[in-house]
Parts: sequence; C-alpha cells; structure tokens
Amino acid sequence: MRINRRDFLFQAGGGLSGLAFASMLHGQSPYAAKQGHHPARAKAVISLFMCGGVSQMDSFDRKPMLDKYAGHPLTGKGDVVVRQGHPGPLMPSPFTWKRYGQSGLEVSELFPTIGAAHADKLALIRSVVGKSNDHVQAHYELATGVIRMGYPSVGSWITYGLGTENQSLPSFVVIFDARGGPFGGPANWSAGFMPAAYQGTVLRSAGDPIMDLHPPASISQEDQRTRLKLLEKLNQLDIERNPGNSELAARISAYELAYRMQGAAPEAVDTQKESAATKHLYGLDDAITEPFGRQCLMARRLVERGVRYVQLYHGGLGNQNTDTWDAHDDIRSNHTKHAAEVDRPIAGLLSDLAGRGLLDSTLVVWQGEFGRMPISQRGMGRDHNPGAMSIWMAGAKIGGGQIIGSTDEFGYKAAEQPVSVHDLHATILHLTGLDHKRLTYRFQGRDMRLTDVEGELVPQIVA
Amino acid sequence: MVLGLALILFIAVDFERDVRPVFEQSCVKCHGGAAGAMAGLDLRNPASTRKVIQAGNPEASRLFRVIAGFDKPAMPLGGAALTKPQIEAIREWIASGAEQTASQTTGAKPWPYRLPQDTANASIDKFIDRKLAENQLAAKAPRADHQMLIRRLALDLTGLPPEAADFPLTYAQAVDKYLASPAYGERWGRHWLDVARYADSNGFEHDFNRPNAWRYRDYAIRAFNENKPFDQFLREQISGDEFDEPSNDALIATGFLRNYAKVGFREKDNPEFRLEYLDDMIATLGRGVMGLTVQCARCHNHKFDSIAKSDYDRMKASLWGYVEVDHPLVPREEAARWEQTNQAIQARLQAVRQQLATLEKPYKDQLLPAKLKRFPQAAQDAIAMPEAQRTPGQVLLANQILRTTSVSSAEAARIMPADAKSQRQDLLDRAAAIETQRPAPIPVAAGITDGDFRFTPDGPGDEPAPGKGIQRAAIEGAFLFQGAGKYRVPPGSEIDPGFPAMLVSGTPPVALPPVHGRTSGRRRALAEWLVSKQNPMTARVFVNRVWHHHFGRGIVASLDNFGRMGEPPSHPELLDWLALRFQESGWDVKALHRLILSSNAYQRSSSFDHADNQGKDAANAYLWRFRAQRLEAEAVRDQILAASGSLNLAMGGPAIFPPLPAEVKAQMLHGIWEKQEDGPQTWRRSVYVYRKRGLPFPLFEAFDLPDQNITCNRRNTTTVPTQALTLMNNEFVLKQAGRLANRIKELTLDRARQIDLAYQFTLARPPREDERALAQEYLQSGSLDGLAHVLFNTSEFLYLR
Repeated sequence: MRINRRDFLFQAGGGLSGLAFASMLHGQSPYAAKQGHHPARAKAVISLFMCGGVSQMDSFDRKPMLDKYAGHPLTGKGDVVVRQGHPGPLMPSPFTWKRYGQSGLEVSELFPTIGAAHADKLALIRSVVGKSNDHVQAHYELATGVIRMGYPSVGSWITYGLGTENQSLPSFVVIFDARGGPFGGPANWSAGFMPAAYQGTVLRSAGDPIMDLHPPASISQEDQRTRLKLLEKLNQLDIERNPGNSELAARISAYELAYRMQGAAPEAVDTQKESAATKHLYGLDDAITEPFGRQCLMARRLVERGVRYVQLYHGGLGNQNTDTWDAHDDIRSNHTKHAAEVDRPIAGLLSDLAGRGLLDSTLVVWQGEFGRMPISQRGMGRDHNPGAMSIWMAGAKIGGGQIIGSTDEFGYKAAEQPVSVHDLHATILHLTGLDHKRLTYRFQGRDMRLTDVEGELVPQIVA
Repeated sequence: MVLGLALILFIAVDFERDVRPVFEQSCVKCHGGAAGAMAGLDLRNPASTRKVIQAGNPEASRLFRVIAGFDKPAMPLGGAALTKPQIEAIREWIASGAEQTASQTTGAKPWPYRLPQDTANASIDKFIDRKLAENQLAAKAPRADHQMLIRRLALDLTGLPPEAADFPLTYAQAVDKYLASPAYGERWGRHWLDVARYADSNGFEHDFNRPNAWRYRDYAIRAFNENKPFDQFLREQISGDEFDEPSNDALIATGFLRNYAKVGFREKDNPEFRLEYLDDMIATLGRGVMGLTVQCARCHNHKFDSIAKSDYDRMKASLWGYVEVDHPLVPREEAARWEQTNQAIQARLQAVRQQLATLEKPYKDQLLPAKLKRFPQAAQDAIAMPEAQRTPGQVLLANQILRTTSVSSAEAARIMPADAKSQRQDLLDRAAAIETQRPAPIPVAAGITDGDFRFTPDGPGDEPAPGKGIQRAAIEGAFLFQGAGKYRVPPGSEIDPGFPAMLVSGTPPVALPPVHGRTSGRRRALAEWLVSKQNPMTARVFVNRVWHHHFGRGIVASLDNFGRMGEPPSHPELLDWLALRFQESGWDVKALHRLILSSNAYQRSSSFDHADNQGKDAANAYLWRFRAQRLEAEAVRDQILAASGSLNLAMGGPAIFPPLPAEVKAQMLHGIWEKQEDGPQTWRRSVYVYRKRGLPFPLFEAFDLPDQNITCNRRNTTTVPTQALTLMNNEFVLKQAGRLANRIKELTLDRARQIDLAYQFTLARPPREDERALAQEYLQSGSLDGLAHVLFNTSEFLYLR
C-alpha cells in the first residue's frame, strides 16, 4: 500500500489539522523540535554497534610486544580476570597490518576498505574503558551509561533534548542484524524512566518496517480510509463535548502522524530505487556484505529524512558464537568473517555521506560493548576485556586521522587518556548541540542525566 | 518582551536549587552538620546564616567575601574552592534578598515528617471546597450523569466496563457491587504490582523464567479482594517468614522483596550483585512505602531530604541477612519427607553415575588426543610437554585446554565393544528407573528468609564457575531454613539495623526475633515500625496512592517522593485526615474507597469547562471538575476483550502467553515465551499476561507500560502514533472488533439496534443523534466490523471520565 502523503485527513479535516498542529506547537507533542544548548555540529548520529566485542589488538591497536612475548603469561598487571574458564598466555594477532592515508593510521587486514578510503577521516580512541565484562551489562552501559536495565538510551536523550524534524518518521530508529537482536534486547533502546515516546523504534529491513504499520490484507486501503474518516468525526464531536482537554486534540494528531508514517516509513527504508552504483558502494551486490550494507544504506536514507539517531547492530544472537564478534573460540575465523561483512558497507556509508555533503553534519560512531584480551583462550580465541576498547568517530567535522589515548604494551588496559563511557556520551551529546550537564530529566526527585554526575568531553573530538 | 521575561525567570537564583546544594556539599560538614556549628555558624539555620549576610549587599557579606577569596581565611577551609557559577549563584542569592528556608535539621520537623494532624468536623468535600474558595475557583462542575458515573465506577474499581444490569443500580449499590467483585482485586492488585516491580522473569542476559512468581501476583490480587488490612499486607510482604507461625500467604508474600531484576549468572562468585539487590529493596520500600528516595543516600547524605548515609546503611542492615528461598507450601513434616526421599534418590543416582564414569573412562581417554588435534601447534607442544617441564605460559595453555576439553558419554559409547555397551545401557536404564521414583514436586513460593547466601541451595544462575566459588565450611547458625537453632546474621554489615532518624519517634525496637529463632527479626521490626502509629509516612503514602488512582493525581502528585524535591501537597490537611481515618479503621482499604467515592468531588462531571478556572488552575489540582484519565495498557486490552464478549474471567494460576508476532519473538534471547493460541485460553485479563523483563508485551508497551525493573508509582501517559498504529492495525484488535460485530449480529439484525448495542458494549451508553447519523452513514458502505473497530479507537473508549 502506498499512500499519498497529502492524504484525505488533511483535506477533509483541514481546520482540525490546524488545531492539532497548534497543540503540538504548545509543547504537547513530545516530538516537537527543540533548540539545543549550543549550535550543533551533528544533526544526526549513526551508531554502528559490533555486538560481541571487537578485539582491539586485531583491528585498530597494533601491539608488536605481543609477538615478542607470545606464549608468556600476562604478569605484573594485577589479578587477570577472565570471563570464561582460565587465563591463557599472551597471543599475538594473527593478522597483518598496513598504514593508510596521510595520517599513516595503522589498520589490520580486517578492514582494508575502511583503511584505504577513510583512514584520514577517523578519530580513533584507543583507550575507552567500560565497567562490565558481561555482554548484556556492557551493552547497557554503552546504550544508557548504566550497566543495569531501566535507563534511557542515548537516542532517547537526544530525542528528548531535540525533538524531531520529520514528524512522519520516528526520531530514534533501531535496525538490527537479520540473525537476531543484540545482547540485552529492547532495554538497549528503551526510554527507561522517560515517557515511552522517546524510546527507539525498531525498523525491519524486510516487510513492514514498523510493527502494525499497515492493516492486514483483509482490510483494504479504502476500508481503512473510511474507518479513519468516521473516527475523526466522532473524535471531533467528542472534543466539542469535552472542552478544555488538550490530550484529545493530541490524540487526533497522533492518528494523523500514524497515517503519514504508513507512507513515509516504507519509503524511507526502500532501497530499491537507489542507483546501481550506490548499491555497489554498500556491497548490496555481494551476498556477504548485502545484509549490513542494506542496514547502512537505510541509515543514510533515514538521516537524509531528518531522523536524529540511527542505531545499527551488527551481529545477532541467532548463535552467539558464530553470529557475533564474540571470538572466544577462534579470533582468526570469527573476526575475518564478521569484518568481511561490515568493511565495505561501512566504507560505503562514509563515502556516500561524504559524497552527498551529509558527513559534515552526521556523526558516525563505530563501537562494540568491550575490547578483548591480549591473552589467548586455548591458543586461538580471546576473552572479554572491558579494560580497553578501540572505537572511532567520523563526520561532524571531527579531525580525522588522529589517535586519541593509548593502551599498555599489550593492549590490556587503557594507559594514556582513559575515556569512560560517560565521556563518550558527553561528547556525543555535545556534538548534537546538547550540554550533558544541562540535559536533565526529573525522576525520583532528582534531575537525572545521561552522564550521571560524570562525563568529560573528549577534547580532541570537540576541538 | 516575552523573551526578556523568560530570560529573567531563567537566571533567577533559587535557594533550593542553586544554593542549598552548595551549602550541603561544601559547607555544612563544619557549619551545621554532624561536626556542629564551627565559629557559631549553622548554615542550615536561616537565623544563623543571617549573621554572615547583609541581604541585598553581597560585597558587604562575610559569607560572600570568604568564598570569593576577598577575606581570609578563604572558604571552604582546606577544601576545593567553590566554582565560579557556585560563587555567582550565592552572590545573586544574597543580592536578591537571601531568602532561605530552614533545613530540616533545625527546629520542628517540617511536613511530611510530622505525624498527621487531625481536623475536627471535617469531610473530604469541606477540605476541597475550602481550597477552591481560597484559590477563587468559583465554578464547580455539576454531578456527572448516572450513566457516566456507573461507567466511571466500573472502570475505576474493576478495570472492566459496566454490564447492562448495572445501570439500574443506585450509585451506592454500584460501589458495593464493584468492590465485592473479584475483578476489583485484579485491578487494584495490579496497581500494587507496579509498586512491587513484579515480573515473571529475571531480566538481564539470561532472563530466567520464575516459575513460581505468579503466586505472589495472585496473593496481591487475593489480598485486595479479601480486604486484607493494609498494615497486615505490609507485614506479610516484608517479614511473613518471620512470623511466629507463618501462614502460606505470609510466605508467598515475601516474594515482594525478591521481585528485583536479577543477573542470574554466577551469583555466588559475585557477592557484589547482592548490594544492588539490597539497594533495589531499599528503593522499593523507600519510594513505594515510605514516599522517600532513601536510596539517594547510598553514597552520600541526601542532598535535599534529611536522610543520612547512615540511615541508608541502617536500613540495609535490617535487610542484610536476606536470602532467596523457595518456601514449601505444605506442612513442614511433609516438606522434610519430600526432601529426604529426594536426597535418597539423588544418592542412588550418584552411585550409578559413578559406575558409569568408571566404565567409560578408558574409552574417553582413548578418544581425547584426537580431540586435542584442532588446537594450534603451540598448544600441542604445551600438552605434549611433561607437566614439570612446561614453561609458565605452557602451564596456562595446557590447563585451559585440558580442563575444557572432554569426550562425551555418547562418543565413548560409539567405540565400546558390545559387552561394555550393554553394561552401559544397563546402567543408564537403572538411572532412568530411579529417576521415575522421584516424588512429584511440592508447591513452593519464591520468597526470602534470613540466612547466609553462600550456603543456600544453588538456583539457576547461582552455580559458581568451575574451579571457582567462595563456598566454604558453613558458619554455625548462618542458614537455618530447615534445621533448628538460633540464627546469626552473617558478617559484612557491622552496622546496627535501624530506621531513618528523621522519621523516628521514641525508640522502636530494631529486631523482634520470632519464637522459632530461624530469622533475626530485623525485617519484622522494620515492618512493625512502618505500620505503627508513630510512623508519619506509611498511611499517608498509601492513602495518597489510592487517591491518585481515583482522581488521576495524588494529593501529593509525586506519589513516591514526599520529600523536598517532590511536589508539594495540594490538600495537606485532607491527606492527614484521610491517613488518620485509614489508621482508625484498621487500615481498611475498601472503607477508604467508600469514603473517597462518597465525596461530591469524585462524582463531578469531567466534561465541564470554565475559562476562569482554566486560567487559575489548568491542571485541575483543586478538583473543580473530575479529571478524565487515559486508561492503562492493561485496561485498554481488557476493555476490548470485554466489549467483544471474549473475556475469559478465570482467575489466578500460571501466566498466559498471548501469541507474539515472529519479529518480536526474534528479539527474545533467553528465557521463555510459551506457544499458546490466540483464543479463550489467552483472552484472560491482562494482569495474567506473562511479564517478561527482557521483552515487554508490545500492546502494553505502546500504552506506556512502565519499566518492569524498578518500583513504579505513577505511570507515564503519552499520546503517540504507535498507539494509533496499534489500535488501527493490530491483528488482535481487529479480530476482537470482528468478534464484537458478531456478538451484535447474533443479538439483532436491525441496523439501528446494532448501532445501539455497539455503543452500549464499547462506551456503555447509547449513541447521541449526531453519532447515530454518522454511524448510519458509515454503515451504508462500511461494515459492522468497521464500526466496532472505530469505536475501539475513539478517545472516549480509552478514557475513564
């Protein structure tokens, strides 16, 4: 079903639409666009989340000392806490490395396309430190700043702070891997203690993108139209009989938005009409890169249409060991497989955003929930490590080709300039025009913040 | 001009917001806190503060001069200097007159810490009318019409629409009928389950099913239906296991404290998880029962309320010994017999398994080397190296591989000769035969009691990692769930139990050990103190909660926070008066409903409007009309089922699992969602739908289901497009609309009568003429299904008015 956006609701009930719109202007719509605290550098954020945890020593943080001390125990660093089984000896990276671009940023063979095309666009933070070595809790920390369930996610805070520009699409969109959702499920995009209006909306890459977006086949478009027409008239009579209740006008407006969404949402995620060149750029012509390529292309289309926060997950829990980056068993085969799925799509996304002039106003963040251990699991795998993780940001006029922070000689713990998740969140909010200390929501008698009472901007990023 | 005004309002300094926190954080440690008032200055006392201030003239004020560094000694002495914005805020505050409200540590206790004060010759309406007059709200809504009132009562008290037979009842008869209906407990029990953060699963990664959680849900429903005195309801939930002779209900009730979300992974290796669970209990008791954010004092003294970190620690000590336990719901002797039989079977099984292991060992040993071949050369070398000669790195590697590589029993069987194979089968058969002798499980309640968590039986997720675990020899008296003796609180909390000092009058006991001696009696003392006449909060907080559900807004609008940062009460004397009547009645909840429902204020029309009133009190805080309230998620679904005639009123028991769309189920990682048909089995009331922490039920989520992990007092009410999409397009909704249409068609084929019935079943009233005309016009091309569907979507259907 394709619907003309200027549908009957606006023609039939012109005066009414005006009324509903007025009520939104007066702040009753939770989505009304709002001013930030300072001029924004990023109108939108695309978060690329690699579920399971990417190994920093095998991707963006080369550690020659691992070759030198291969097979030795990791000593002198205090108690080595592993998630599974027993600690093993230090294990070198099985991958080769190459320097790219003017900056000479060193990237492993896992990400050749990103390295070759975009090394000079990446601001690489090697010293991100998390609080948990549990997948779910670490996911929650990256999503909400807290390792427990029940707190609003970054996308919710941004929607709360800025509202949305496109009233026909949700402002905070989540697209996950066809193999399944991320660790921890919907709590990753929940609005926590805020009104549910601010939670993320899951868009599917096939079929109806939003749940219940369209009626089942048994109800024709015409049938739905006449029902909605009757509903509007009845609700209008109801407003007249119940004066002085603004919620009733807001409800009519919610139906209008819903109706518009029926047309706008499928259009926004429909990648069919993209050119062959664009599809190629994202790897849609290759079975390996097609799924994540499609997610990345949807993200670009959504950002173009004014969506504020797009959360992409790569790696799903169909089978945790093979379908995510959780390389306990064999770092080489696991990371080779997953990097091949995302390298071209991510590079394509950055190129496409840049080519369309969107990269300067879009923040792209690449992250996982934690890094991995420099010591081996049974000579082949690596366990979880929240002590150090490499993440990168690009776009939003961030200085590219720079390296921020460092890890110790083995990549085990952050050394220089440790960056907490609160610091990351403060920085992301800052780029979208929000001051993390002033963006508060009153709950339990307290002005809650995404960054609690912490959070320092990463100076090299906001410079 | 408007902009300028907004700017001024924005920068105006507020003592509570801008100044008091600075005092609390940086000054009162020496000037007004526990250390006393050094230099005679107590910044919590306005009279004292005035000695160092010249209102209107910061530069001449000693306070400003020392914090700005103009005078010595610069303050705070020995601490970090105040920040520029802090100094600026204090300067502004002095410049604008230095208004200060007293901190609560000085002088008489402020509301709400004072005990409720009575008012003579009072009634609800007298209090309401007085406030209306005080606020010059001259116009009051008339009484709503009878039809409207019956629907209001039905939805409010039972969460279901009225039946045709209810309309001839008088208002008072309808109140009696609905309060006596079992549906009343299902609705008001559900309200309490929000406070209790009830769910049927653990949450977090594993999201384990809680197979017995529903007993607590049913207990809450039963308690309201039986009109259990609220003080007893609280005693049971906090300390049912500490009663001298606990009833089954008292044991089930202890599930209240166990309703926290739980990690469920290596709990015994990670005792710090317990501190989070204790914090959650304190938050739930604090916000849910005491109306105070006690949990804010976990790390520091409360910034705004007089709750010290030591108050938090004492409350934690009251709960410290808690352990999770499944209470058998059969007589003790029967439970003991069951346990014995079970252990005997376990022992026999163990013996057979031992024989099996001995039989299989040589075959497993034979197969192991081949299994090790997949590991890299370095690992092979490490394993091949004689143990004594391995390098430290090889020790680790060999250890990792050898401890985590095994040959399964089935693999071993494959290479066994025939006789060994038949021996093995024999042993397996014997084990299976023994297994069949296991006695049927006895019913248990998921609750708590006192103990030492290290010595309790392992539940799902409790098992320590292989080779880890902190379980040591049991300490005498640490866990007496089964045995006799006298319980001793485990080490870890050396602080004495107790209650927040600001709320305590006299010296209430902090432990009331039961005669059986198996618990400390600390929770029992906590419960007794909470429901004692000397406690200023408990009755007020509950009465306010009931008021909120009737009127859509509490007398204190922030139900869980009566403190300084909560909303001030709109009618403080009324709240006190109600709390006292409630206590006098023996905490009789249904009597409280009757008292409130009999007021004129409750019976006012919600469709009345008045421009002058709107200007003065747009939020209707003073109740010049009745507040229309959007129904909660559960009530929306229940109403749809009731209207269509599909509602299955069966009560209680294990949860139901209405079918989930495949794409929603795909988001589910762990735990359960049983496959059940969309039919009478699942067309039961929403309170019985499985509450899965990791996966909120979509229909509920669209209508503002609160977060299921923490205590919730006041649900959000949003109006968003997803609600419209759900009601427009969701298959369940459409199917029920079809069923409603069929229900109507079975009763009549007359068009006009069909419209009447559609309105009757959905909105509990006949259509008005203009509505009837619209419906008739629609039905010329549309279907009765369509009309039913549209009525489900109307605002009126979704609102209690």
